[in-house]
Amino acid sequence: MHPKTRWSVLVALLVVAALVLTACPAQPAAAPAQEAAGEEAAAAPAEEAGPGEEPLEIVVWAQANNVERWRADGPAKAAEMVTDFNVKVVPVNDDSGWGEYKQKFTLAADSGEAPDIVVSGHEDIPVWANAGYITEFDWCRERYPEFDDVIESLWNSATWKGKLWGVPQDTEARPMFFNKKKLAEMGWSQEEIDALPERIKNGEFTLDDMIATAKEAIEKGVVEPGYGYWHRPRKGGDFIQYYAAYGGRLYDPEQDKLVIDREALENWYAFQRRVVEEGITPENYIGTEWSIWHDTVSRGQALFWNGGIWQWADWAVNYVADLGGEEYLFSFVGYALQPSGIPGRPGVTLSHPLVYMITTPEASGKENQDAACAVLAKTTTPEINTLHAVESTHLGILKSQADYPDYANNRFLSDVLYMLDYNFYQPNHVMYGPYFDILWDFMVKAENGEMSPADAANAAIELLQAELADAVLVE
Amino acid sequence: MTTIDERIPSTLPVTARTPWWSNLRRMVAPLLFMSPASLLVLVFFFTPVLILFGISLTNLSSSTGFRNWEWVGLENYRRIFVHPQSVDVFRNTVKYVLFTLALFNVGLAMVLALLTTHIPRRTGFFFRSLWLLPRITPSVVYIMMWKYMAADAPYGILNQHLFGPLGVEPTNWLPAQAWAFVILTNGFVGASFGMIIFTSAIESIPRDYMIAALVDGCNLLQRIRYVILPMLRWPLLFVTTYQTLSLLTSFEYILLLTEGQFNTEVWSLWAYQRALNNYWGNFQWGFGAALAMILVGVGLLMAVVYMRYFQFNQLVQEPKIEAL
Repeated sequence: MHPKTRWSVLVALLVVAALVLTACPAQPAAAPAQEAAGEEAAAAPAEEAGPGEEPLEIVVWAQANNVERWRADGPAKAAEMVTDFNVKVVPVNDDSGWGEYKQKFTLAADSGEAPDIVVSGHEDIPVWANAGYITEFDWCRERYPEFDDVIESLWNSATWKGKLWGVPQDTEARPMFFNKKKLAEMGWSQEEIDALPERIKNGEFTLDDMIATAKEAIEKGVVEPGYGYWHRPRKGGDFIQYYAAYGGRLYDPEQDKLVIDREALENWYAFQRRVVEEGITPENYIGTEWSIWHDTVSRGQALFWNGGIWQWADWAVNYVADLGGEEYLFSFVGYALQPSGIPGRPGVTLSHPLVYMITTPEASGKENQDAACAVLAKTTTPEINTLHAVESTHLGILKSQADYPDYANNRFLSDVLYMLDYNFYQPNHVMYGPYFDILWDFMVKAENGEMSPADAANAAIELLQAELADAVLVE
Repeated sequence: MTTIDERIPSTLPVTARTPWWSNLRRMVAPLLFMSPASLLVLVFFFTPVLILFGISLTNLSSSTGFRNWEWVGLENYRRIFVHPQSVDVFRNTVKYVLFTLALFNVGLAMVLALLTTHIPRRTGFFFRSLWLLPRITPSVVYIMMWKYMAADAPYGILNQHLFGPLGVEPTNWLPAQAWAFVILTNGFVGASFGMIIFTSAIESIPRDYMIAALVDGCNLLQRIRYVILPMLRWPLLFVTTYQTLSLLTSFEYILLLTEGQFNTEVWSLWAYQRALNNYWGNFQWGFGAALAMILVGVGLLMAVVYMRYFQFNQLVQEPKIEAL
């Protein structure tokens, strides 16, 4: 063979080999002991760094806006108090949407690049535990006394298949906000306005009453047409509250199956359409920009609106700071549970605790689980958690916070604390994501008038059965 | 004096005189020339398609991770064919491709090319540059501008400055006319591609033809109909083919604009949302891969249709006019 040809063949073969090697999956930089089961590896004590050695880096990921930065910054501050490990926390607060954030974590975990600690909604536990991304948490809870301070009922949200998978980071309530000044303009007395939260709590003021009141406000010219009631403008768990308000249940724990109640679903969809037909919510409302929504409700243009307590801090800092911030909000905003759809039944609210979860060696490519546990123990203290609770107006997760001055002196948090007695959680089930998406898609069609509420409910149930098969029970 | 023909034997005993490695070289050389391009296609097209097909035969999802998945055969495809949304999403996809293509990516592109080549050259260049702006604007910024244009009163530009003064009842125009916005946003970006191809093709038409047409007394419309358009047959076919396949797989503007709500879900967006974007997590990679495989199948089918019935292969064999 001619020398030049031989060279050409050799070069071609090298190019092929290089491309094949490039296509092979990369190994994690720090190869973990892949054979070790997650919990075994987690339980094994990590090597303690000696004095003068470089501290162990623990990476924490959180989805957070500018007033929620303590989700990742809290563990960073707590790391200074860890004595049994020489650790340093690298906080990463990500303000992309939840979908993008979870996508990023999932892909990172499958490539062995996940952070050591991840903060996310409790409903991610079954999905991520099943995939082997996160470790069980019982061993960690038993190791440090700080975890005994967590409110007992909150551990339920972090439990799946009888085991703990994380520690609560925050929780919240999603109230029905109302404009006290507008109610006064309608002729409500101060006593009537002050009594509204109690009436909702007792089931004496229902969703029907809210619609009637909003309609009356428009007729009297107190608010503009379409500004009687503004629900959340985009996808989110808040809407499930109306399904619950009409008596629907989400989950059957005995059978570990999701549940859909046909009557409650149809009533919920009918409510969403009715608010538009009655003229208290604008036509084509879903899809309104968040910035427009926040601006409208926080400046008192709507009579009733449905939101979350964390938005209070957002409004005060980012929307009405020029008008007086929180004091301005207190001057006209009232808050109560979501009214029930059934007279006589108490109002409800959805709580959605976020949890800190420790990733497995396979997901993170590191064996820092013991150090991560130590960091979380120091994060689960009133000193650290209250920083987040007060700055972002989320409810605390510790029993001792009720008496912790910085928390107890916060008027708004104290006012809404009782709502936890009327809350419910979304279920920890691997198929809850697809289940929720289907309910949401048909709710939009019902509210926009693309389908009648009955047709939308039937179509949603048909799709649930097609997609989820025997993972869902129809009642 | 000998001629060339006399110097070259009528039959060349190649096989008898040429060493075997020379034959091998003759056979291998073309393959070596083609190998870089072949490898690129193999690695970046065929391999991903094979991987995609493999994933579509599994129940891989974020709840199974890479460790707990199982083969499920054609179950994902069965689910697609019995899925209550399949027909609606397919219909949406056809609507999206057809209207965007006909009205903008080919239709408006042709109009722009014709107009800007029949006005002073500098002015034509200026207007073509303007039409490139949507393409060079970052997608998120571009869609944000449309959203604020469509927003409900008192925010929306349409409500404040266009429909308001005309007495039209204000509303949130995006959900109200979702399809119009989907086609407009995609079309404004897509038109510039065809505009550039058509412009260069029109400017490459030999001046002799134009002069001959003028001598024959053609007016402008006749010149377009009988001289220019026949000359644009091949660029037209290229743009139609390329943009059809491109639109079939594009969804970024729809995702940013409506997230598939208001009945604007197209097939590629459906695949993305199932595989990679779910509000409460649990991405269904297996099902999403099966949806994407359907799209690969449709794309291949369209390519075959274009090549067989429109003789697309002639286009790629040799340039028919100087522009291509």
